Amino acid sequence: MLPTSLPLLSKGGHATHCKRCLSGLPSSQVDIDPAKLALSFYCLGSLDVSGELEKKTRDWEREQWREWIWSQQTREPVLKSKCVGELSQSPGGHYGTGFRASSYMTTKHSTEEYSGHDNPQIIMTYTALLSLSILRDDFSRLDRKGLLKFLRSCQNIDGSFSSEPLGGDSDLRTTFCAFAISTMLDDWSGMDVANALQFICSCRSYEGGYGQSPFGEALGGTTYCALAALQLATKQLDPLSLQDRQKTIRWLVQNQASNGGFSGRTNKDADACYCFWCGASLHVLNAGDLIDKAAMTSFIASCQFKYGGIAKIPGEHPGTPFSNPLTLQQTLS
Amino acid sequence: MNIPAEEEKPLYSQRPEWADVVPLEQYENVAPLAPIFYTDEYKDATNYFRGIVKSGEMSPRVLELTENIIRQNPGHYSAWQYRYKTLMALKSPLDDELQLMDELAIKHLKTYQVWHHRKLLVQQTRNPGPELEFIANSLQVDMKNYHTWSYRQWILANFNDDALWSHELDFVESMLESDVRNNSAWHHRFFVAFQSGVRNGDEDRDAIDRRELAFVKERIAIAPNNASAWNYLRGVLDHAKIPYSELQAFVLPYSLPQPPLGTPPEVVDLESPLPSKDSQLPCVAAVEFMADIHEAAGGGDLVKATELWKSLANEHDTIRKRYWEYRIAESLKTRSAGDG
Repeated sequence: MLPTSLPLLSKGGHATHCKRCLSGLPSSQVDIDPAKLALSFYCLGSLDVSGELEKKTRDWEREQWREWIWSQQTREPVLKSKCVGELSQSPGGHYGTGFRASSYMTTKHSTEEYSGHDNPQIIMTYTALLSLSILRDDFSRLDRKGLLKFLRSCQNIDGSFSSEPLGGDSDLRTTFCAFAISTMLDDWSGMDVANALQFICSCRSYEGGYGQSPFGEALGGTTYCALAALQLATKQLDPLSLQDRQKTIRWLVQNQASNGGFSGRTNKDADACYCFWCGASLHVLNAGDLIDKAAMTSFIASCQFKYGGIAKIPGEHPGTPFSNPLTLQQTLS
Repeated sequence: MNIPAEEEKPLYSQRPEWADVVPLEQYENVAPLAPIFYTDEYKDATNYFRGIVKSGEMSPRVLELTENIIRQNPGHYSAWQYRYKTLMALKSPLDDELQLMDELAIKHLKTYQVWHHRKLLVQQTRNPGPELEFIANSLQVDMKNYHTWSYRQWILANFNDDALWSHELDFVESMLESDVRNNSAWHHRFFVAFQSGVRNGDEDRDAIDRRELAFVKERIAIAPNNASAWNYLRGVLDHAKIPYSELQAFVLPYSLPQPPLGTPPEVVDLESPLPSKDSQLPCVAAVEFMADIHEAAGGGDLVKATELWKSLANEHDTIRKRYWEYRIAESLKTRSAGDG
């Protein structure tokens, strides 16, 4: 039985929690550094979807944040004739322009060019563009041509994308980011689309969801990445047959647990973030109304922390708000 | 030998053997988003690391420095990357490095970099054998860790050596013995049986299909309300293009409110093992399966399918009420399209 009245959505509390993270993190969260732009997006996104951004932050703060994000845009190195390292191995020797995670490798005399140890990263580039958009930037400083070149240099022979030009992980997360960046630029010349679509299809599992990479176990987050990318590129999810869709819908609704929350994999416990990943996946499949929304809302409400923030499960401490804006989005929709 | 704890070591800035390195502070031209209040130890180590990266030094002390940083921040991408380059430049013994990784991987099972580094190392040593045992041990710590299972699949597929594959089904079976609901183990079984090529002795694919069907039926009998096993069953049938109706005799008893009466317990039908005693019946997945069989048969059987979906929506699986009602509506659409 559902409670007749749900705990209220503590919008102000969540916004304060996010603002607090943007103002500073304790040393115990040093591992956020290599994903700082992603965390910033999650905080800004939470503030934005809850309509609290303008209330909780000042003009000069938002201006400063825009400046800081732009200072993470790093350009392709200009090769000097004596430089015969790895950088000159690809035709032209350039890898394009993107955003690095944060300034943790930046020193006083660093230039705008990257050195091979502070490379731009595809997920950070995607979240930087979203954050700038939330901060209402005019994007006059965006190196569009360089960004397309960056995408091209991240794509691998199997159609997947490495997180950065000289390696790193390649899976459906980076693929989704490449598709989203191409959509935002309204320019698909940064990738071989057919090859990338084939990679997505190769990550499909027998359960109907998608794994992180080929032959991986079906997982809520990467299933969203796959379906959203397919939709961005083909509008009608062309590569999926009717049977494929039915199977995916079945697996997604099966992930709703009896407590109303969603699990990310079969037989795992529910976790607030999968309310978004599975819920949004169903939405892409035009099946968003097939879930028990009241039960899900009740689950998310019980994950709220009294001082702001949404935990993974009821009663836990919320930590940094990774995925929170997405969960909020799901709650508000 | 006891390794002194991190905090007992003096800062790099106080160590004479590092005096020749110019430390470089992190620099922000504007106030950053989410500034991290680093500890003095972390600031000190990363100052020296930035100095080393600038000078390009690759020496044994760089290995000590990067290990120090990684222990403080296992996500420090650049430290991992520079460490790997240094290992290569120094032609360091990689078995030692892998031993260190055994410890760090268990500590930081959810950090991408730990696994990425390990892959790079094994690609150099080309000695995947010990990895399977290491993975088995890691899975004892976290039986469903995604990175660990992916790494196992990568080791098997990438090195694709008969000796590596030889005990894989036994391994999955032992994992399922500890937890028959471990979906990662079921998924791995599908990978081994169907997605990783045909190995010597496995050429008769029909025999493999039969083996897998028998295996999963037996596990369903032990614990009928197990979505992983039912998904596996569907996976095998879809893969082998076997119609669901062929499983009707097996599935039916699971879809009924109580075990069929009058079956003498000493008669065990291996093709259709019955639900174990004390099973909670009807099993939702079995009711759904029966409805799928009736839907595929079409015609008059659609009424039976609708009845079963209704029972799921209103009684046995109410959280998915809207989904089961959608299934009813969809089948009506198909029927009227067929009539027209």
